[in-house]
Amino acid sequence: MGVIHVEVCAGTHCTMMGAMNIMDAIHSLEELQQEMDNPCDIEVKAVPCMNLCRDEVHGPFVRVEGQLITHAESESVMAAIMDRCK
Amino acid sequence: MRGLFTPITKIRRQVFTEVAKYAFERDLEQSDFNYFYESSYRIIPGEVATYRDSVFKERAIIRERIRLALGLPIRPSITHQPFTQGMAECATTEKKLDMPLVNVIPFACEACPTDRVQVSDNCRKCLAHPCTTVCPVNAVSIGKHAAIIDQDKCIKCGRCIEACPYQAILRFGRPCAQACGAKAIESDDLGRAKINQDKCVSCGLCIVACPFAAIADKSEIFQLITAIRSGETVFAAVAPSFVGQFGPLATPGKIVSGIKALGITRVIEVGWGADVGSLHEAEEFLRDVPEHKPFLGTSCCTSWALFARKTQPTLAHCIAQTHTPMVASAQKIKAEHPGAKVVFIGPCVAKKLEALDDEVRPYVDYVITFEELMGLFSAKQIELSDLPETDLATQASRDGRNYAVAGGVAQAVVNVIKASGHEQDVPVTRADTLFECRKMLALAKAGKLNGHLLEGMACPGGCVGGPGTLSQIPRAATAVKAFAQDSPYQTAGDNTLEALAP
Repeated sequence: MGVIHVEVCAGTHCTMMGAMNIMDAIHSLEELQQEMDNPCDIEVKAVPCMNLCRDEVHGPFVRVEGQLITHAESESVMAAIMDRCK
Repeated sequence: MRGLFTPITKIRRQVFTEVAKYAFERDLEQSDFNYFYESSYRIIPGEVATYRDSVFKERAIIRERIRLALGLPIRPSITHQPFTQGMAECATTEKKLDMPLVNVIPFACEACPTDRVQVSDNCRKCLAHPCTTVCPVNAVSIGKHAAIIDQDKCIKCGRCIEACPYQAILRFGRPCAQACGAKAIESDDLGRAKINQDKCVSCGLCIVACPFAAIADKSEIFQLITAIRSGETVFAAVAPSFVGQFGPLATPGKIVSGIKALGITRVIEVGWGADVGSLHEAEEFLRDVPEHKPFLGTSCCTSWALFARKTQPTLAHCIAQTHTPMVASAQKIKAEHPGAKVVFIGPCVAKKLEALDDEVRPYVDYVITFEELMGLFSAKQIELSDLPETDLATQASRDGRNYAVAGGVAQAVVNVIKASGHEQDVPVTRADTLFECRKMLALAKAGKLNGHLLEGMACPGGCVGGPGTLSQIPRAATAVKAFAQDSPYQTAGDNTLEALAP
């Protein structure tokens, strides 16, 4: 059973663009994992603005085990976590 | 869709940010509003439609949303009217808002069926076909490929839905109408949703229920920002539900710092006005129930109070005469600072309606939602977690802060009644959503709630479930309760209420 570390940017822009909803989606996975054969623990942390917004690159920003997801949405983040839980 | 971040949420917030950005940055002497044309291209880029049949239509809808965000009416589709018409007049510190507040953008509405029982692809045209057997009006027949429901005959009893072994029959209606406890959603001649303004109580729940983003309310962010930039002294009165709305790192003290960073002079907790309201409602209850009124209904939720008075006019006198916490707070601010402008910041669309009332108008200059405020933070690039904590000199009691969560209002009033030495228990009945409120009123009318204190809330879970919120309801409720515990005052009666803390 592994631990998946997830960081969600909780800066103003990311929060406005759904970071809190992504956090909710990740928390929903914690429950889902408990029903799986090989559940993994998910450690999710809200972090201050990552200062990554550029012209064409926007948040929400999420790091799953260090790997950055830009323009993050609940579905892309959940898929990244579920992938690593296999 | 409540609690989910969808493309609709994104578009709504982008519109607020675009309007706020221009309001903060524009040359106050100039009145060039072509910027807002460009906004529609920034929000809907490219040549390919994403959500609808045409990119031009998508942008046209954005432009109507921008007009509403400026406080302007949407334009008629059948006559020519320039997009920027009226915008110059909107760039004022005066109140521009008028009725109707909640608007269906007709060409954004997909004219969903009103209420329909329909057979889906799941139908296997089975030999038993119990759907036909149970139908009391002979509306179900077996067609070439599947069961068919004769919509003219169907009375929507739902028996076929229950009987089908493949869950192939479903009932659906308009999400806007399903969210509307006031039953105000009707249809225009093209089958599109139309709001009956006589029934609408501006709760705003249809806005967040429509999956096609066809409904939006007017905003006052443009006038608020114009006031800030014109050097007006602006006080913000923030509703108790503000806690937890702006992300896990935005503590109450940082949110207040953020509001000040927008150029607002001082921030007042509306929980202060809630304490004033609790004391007053307790007094009304002890004075009038049961001698003059069979029961007392709380008055703080504008939509509920309006709904009760409209749907049960014979019981109108049973709704408390107490000023809402918004009004009590604003009156106090205006008494101490006569020249100041007051903006109420809350989760609520109905407060915009309340502020149009002739009695309220002198005290509350603007009303904006938390979601609109987020647009202001984003436009000004205010990073809440970087800001210092503003020490919230205690303005409200625990009970006052708990007004934001369903049950909190009645509890606050009961606590004052108890503290006054009243020996008997006060029975409380409460309802959230206007659907539940309607049932509660029916019971009250039948005389079954005599002697009760009735708490009505239009939004699910109370104010934390308002249409202008950003946080999911349970998380917001937890945050509100934790913040309430920080107050040294337990009940409204413990709050000195003399002057607003500096």
